[in-house]
Amino acid sequence: MTVLEVDRASALAVCLGARRSSGERGERVSVEVALLEPVAVGELLLVHAGTAIARASIAPHASPAAHARQERA
Amino acid sequence: MRYVDEFRNPQLGRALAREILAAVDPQRHYKIMEVCGGHTHAIYKYGIDALLPPNVELVHGPGCPVCVIPMGRVDDGISLACRPEVIFTCFGDMLRVPGSERTLLDAKAQGADVRVVYSPLDALRIARENPQREVVFFAIGFETTAPSTALTLRRARAERVPNFSVMCSHVTIVPPLRALLESPDLRLDGFIGPGHVASVVGARPFAFLPEQYRKPVVISGFEPLDVMQAVLMIIRQLASARAEVENQYARVVAWDGNPRALEVMREVFELRAHFEWRGLGFISQSALRLSDAYARWDAEQRFSVPGVRVADPKACQCGEVLKGVIKPWECKVFGTACTPERPIGTCMVSPEGACAAYYAYGRHAREPVPA
Repeated sequence: MTVLEVDRASALAVCLGARRSSGERGERVSVEVALLEPVAVGELLLVHAGTAIARASIAPHASPAAHARQERA
Repeated sequence: MRYVDEFRNPQLGRALAREILAAVDPQRHYKIMEVCGGHTHAIYKYGIDALLPPNVELVHGPGCPVCVIPMGRVDDGISLACRPEVIFTCFGDMLRVPGSERTLLDAKAQGADVRVVYSPLDALRIARENPQREVVFFAIGFETTAPSTALTLRRARAERVPNFSVMCSHVTIVPPLRALLESPDLRLDGFIGPGHVASVVGARPFAFLPEQYRKPVVISGFEPLDVMQAVLMIIRQLASARAEVENQYARVVAWDGNPRALEVMREVFELRAHFEWRGLGFISQSALRLSDAYARWDAEQRFSVPGVRVADPKACQCGEVLKGVIKPWECKVFGTACTPERPIGTCMVSPEGACAAYYAYGRHAREPVPA
């Protein structure tokens, strides 16, 4: 889920959920972010049962496309 | 969407399938267990099994949190839900899990106040809004979900919410994996490790698999290319006689997990001496209960819970499915007496259950779906 707004005092954030299809907008939900604070608007979080448990961040060498390039080389 | 679309690229998927084909030893049969129900779902949703060589077999593990809840535990929940003062809250997929005589949905239809929540925080809100009622949250799930329950209990204590309690049925993933490896029923070559559990506990707790059992494990994400890449990494370990923990899901999982989540879990929970798992029996130190500091919010201490043990229906073979001993379609009642509409076993209830995944994606028989 992508962070849209953060309320530091309550350790809650409004996040936008993933789209289930290309034409659909994600759902806005309130998420507990105490386990990852501080979080920033725009960050992508892994959320389970209303609680953010991890951040998603990708190293350039770890993407599938990078893997394919590495294999070709 | 970032981190999703790029892991569903069909061209890269075909390239990975070719790499897997090139890496396997055609004389060898590979049995790789995907521990997590989320992986099982991804495998059948995206047809990953059909992209693998026929000598690479995926075996489904015990990592579906709904599937492993025994019938007696459901009966305990129903007994609480039927108390007139109680609002009983749970995740949606627990509603249709069969107890010995009925489900929580049946109890709701018969007048019990059972409410579905998205998060334990929703249950706490219901407790604040209904101070004259007792609100019980039926907490299930592995280490992925336990931090959410722990944080909610911490809030309940800080806000002194007196009418909220938790029936804690959280389980932990390492003890059943040990139990499976000690079982003579099953020979496994490697494991696709549970990415979401590992985002909390880290990759480190899975080191016992290579160190004590010489089995490779690759912590994996849940997109189709994640799973295929994990299979390739396991096959490459086996080809080079290595047994290691590798982390394919590095975009989310750190070696030591989420330290704050582990800290709050240590504060709120302690290990139960024993817990019954559906199909696996009693496994020591495999589940969580509330620590003494949170005893006041423990539904099992606040109310009288029957705690009876109920044997699974004879026709149901969820236990064998959860242990990876049989495929869902080999169960006597799969797709006939047991369907998602009228499930007999838990594996047909949850979307993460192997039987539900097979049923939903048309794997009703032995014949593979063409790639």
